[in-house]
Amino acid sequence: MFASSGKGAMDFAYNDDQGLLRQVTRRFLEERHPIASVRARLEAESTFDRGVWREGAQLGWVAPLVPERYGGGSVSDQPVVDLAAVAEELGRALYPGPFLTTNVVADAVAVFGDEQQRQEFLGAIARGDCVATWGAAVDGSADAAAIGVEASPAQSDLRLDGVARFAHDAHEADLLLVSCSAPSGPTLALVPLPATGVSIRVLGGLDLTRRFCEIRFEGVHVPSRQVLGAVGAAGRAIERACCLATVLQAAEAVGAAERVFEITVQYAKDRRQFGRAIGGFQAIKHRLADLLIELEGARAASWYAALAVADDRPDRDEAVAVAGSAVRDAFAFIAGESVQIHGGIGFTWEHDAHLFMRRAKVDQLLFGDPEWHREQLCCLVEAEASA
Amino acid sequence: MDVDIPEIPSRYDAYRQGLREFIAANLPQLAFKQRSGLRAPEDPEDVAKLRRWVRSLHDAGYGADRDDPFEARISVEELDRTRVPYVLGNPLVVGAIVHFGTERQRAAYLPAIASGEHIWTQLFSEPDAGSDLTSLKTRAVLDGDCYVVSGQKVWSTWAQFSDFGYLLARIGSGTGRDGITAFILDMDSEGVTTRPLREITGTTDFNEVFLDSVRIPADNMIGEPGSGWKVAQASLAHERVTLPGEKERDLAGVLVRVARDHRRRGRPAIEDGAVRQQIGRVAARNRMERYLGHQIETRAAKGQTNEWAAPLVKIWFSEQNLEVADYALRLLGGRGALVEGEPLAYQDGYLQDAFLYARSWTIAGGSNEILRNVIGERGLELPREPRGDR
Repeated sequence: MFASSGKGAMDFAYNDDQGLLRQVTRRFLEERHPIASVRARLEAESTFDRGVWREGAQLGWVAPLVPERYGGGSVSDQPVVDLAAVAEELGRALYPGPFLTTNVVADAVAVFGDEQQRQEFLGAIARGDCVATWGAAVDGSADAAAIGVEASPAQSDLRLDGVARFAHDAHEADLLLVSCSAPSGPTLALVPLPATGVSIRVLGGLDLTRRFCEIRFEGVHVPSRQVLGAVGAAGRAIERACCLATVLQAAEAVGAAERVFEITVQYAKDRRQFGRAIGGFQAIKHRLADLLIELEGARAASWYAALAVADDRPDRDEAVAVAGSAVRDAFAFIAGESVQIHGGIGFTWEHDAHLFMRRAKVDQLLFGDPEWHREQLCCLVEAEASA
Repeated sequence: MDVDIPEIPSRYDAYRQGLREFIAANLPQLAFKQRSGLRAPEDPEDVAKLRRWVRSLHDAGYGADRDDPFEARISVEELDRTRVPYVLGNPLVVGAIVHFGTERQRAAYLPAIASGEHIWTQLFSEPDAGSDLTSLKTRAVLDGDCYVVSGQKVWSTWAQFSDFGYLLARIGSGTGRDGITAFILDMDSEGVTTRPLREITGTTDFNEVFLDSVRIPADNMIGEPGSGWKVAQASLAHERVTLPGEKERDLAGVLVRVARDHRRRGRPAIEDGAVRQQIGRVAARNRMERYLGHQIETRAAKGQTNEWAAPLVKIWFSEQNLEVADYALRLLGGRGALVEGEPLAYQDGYLQDAFLYARSWTIAGGSNEILRNVIGERGLELPREPRGDR
């Protein structure tokens, strides 16, 4: 068919099953975990509800990247796109749990783990019994250069010392994937929690809806069977995890941006000043048009990055860098302007606008800030211009 | 989810090779430079050469209107590279005639547009009806089997060389969209006067067109009396999507080349972190424009077009284009101040011209401010702007 039409398949949208997954997830969250539930825990030590997580797992939140023989499965042949669809809904609801990290860990174990590790963790993850987090670095990035945990060889095992920060919900997690530096290179280790020598502290954070933790390691013994792949050879696995994290975070950001945008448009129609709805003033109308432009650009970038990672397209790195820079900036812009357009009410604790603005700012700082991704893009464009 | 733009099969290599040889042998030597944007030649001799060029492409089977999509892609790629126009004037009327025209109109005009025989201009805007097109005042009054049309049009690209005009005029005494009707105007008709306008670029790409009791046969109407707004919306939507040109423009690549060729504080500008950030930003927005195109194409195929899609893409493109041209000049340092004709100018002042012409894209086809109203009012259903004249 391609040969005669000269036009390939252009179907840049979620498929019907992914649409259904979104619908089901949206209804579930509206019922079981609306923003009101998030608000109820803003100042609590934990924002995570394990019961909701298990039910979410039943809906397929953590199954797509787990192979069927371990109890997982995808509604398409593009599991990363399935997850992007779910992530948009979680973002809309400002869902607080470690969806992103649990899926990153599932993928790492499924792709780089040995049979025993897969047996041990994948089924439990897909069922929702095992909640996983990732201690990637000390500074919120996933850079190998920013890894703060040393792995010293101890016979065939490893001994971990140091610190990882910004691990999502580590205090609630059952399994920790930790990036560490061995003398032979970057290494990934699986540490079931709690573990001797591991101490976890919840960081006081700007994003009130999610909890990020500092994890300290003091002489933590990691038997060789808990090392993911070979010691010193995790560079590719870390890069893959970072791509997936960027894609899922972008999808969550698009969903959250879409929701706060909808709230803001509605407010501009309802709120009256000078005898008119404020959305009738061009100062507001044009601002909302700008927000829609950025939202649609961000959605396109997020979708394309999911597609590029799912299919390992030749422009995958470029697509991830576009999403990593532009989508988070768009969310931050939309959420910030939302507070502004709401005026005084937007500055109150009771209004939800600040929850989105806080999350958007924190999103900009995790897994490579927008500047980091723009530098990546510049390198790629330079290479292309030389080719 | 899939975005599959198939590779051109190798059996088309001969077509491409043939076209390249054809270009090498026949590309016209023109007095005018092809600058950025939709530009017009200044010399009628160039127009005659361009007509012959388009005709020869069409006759040799290399025109951009090939039915075979791979051949069409190859033609556009190769012809774009020549920087010599191969679509003359403003053929937006094609969409109008295809969708709303009569059989006679289709047969009489469409082949002649494709072959370069007829050059068209658009006669929409007026001095007091720019972005607010519904204020147009040009009148058409039925007299026997003709409409008698009087009024003044402006911003008509290539009108000074055009054979036909795609005209909007008003029948009756209504206001707003009432009575607006689309016509095919023979530019040689008695009572048509064209006066070229010189723009901020120093070139003459647009015109004023004066219509003084011009008689237009009634069967040159496109669509029904009073349906002109609908007809025009279809082609304007087309224009807002396609203004940038069919080919993808790698704006970030342009900046990389400029930044390599110029130095800041004794080092190549490409090594400056601030410059690299800007290149990354431009690259991201350039790629997003492509992704947005995929989305719009997918929605269109499912019949899910929405009213804000075309204005959104036009704003996206035109503002990025302006940002890049503006930034490129800054990267050039003092050389950024030098224009076409000055021996020290970078690439003969192409970027300086692009910087000036960039304001055409942000204003034409509905100024970006009007398009933000369209997005807000039709897309987001916000209250409409109050009018001062009703």
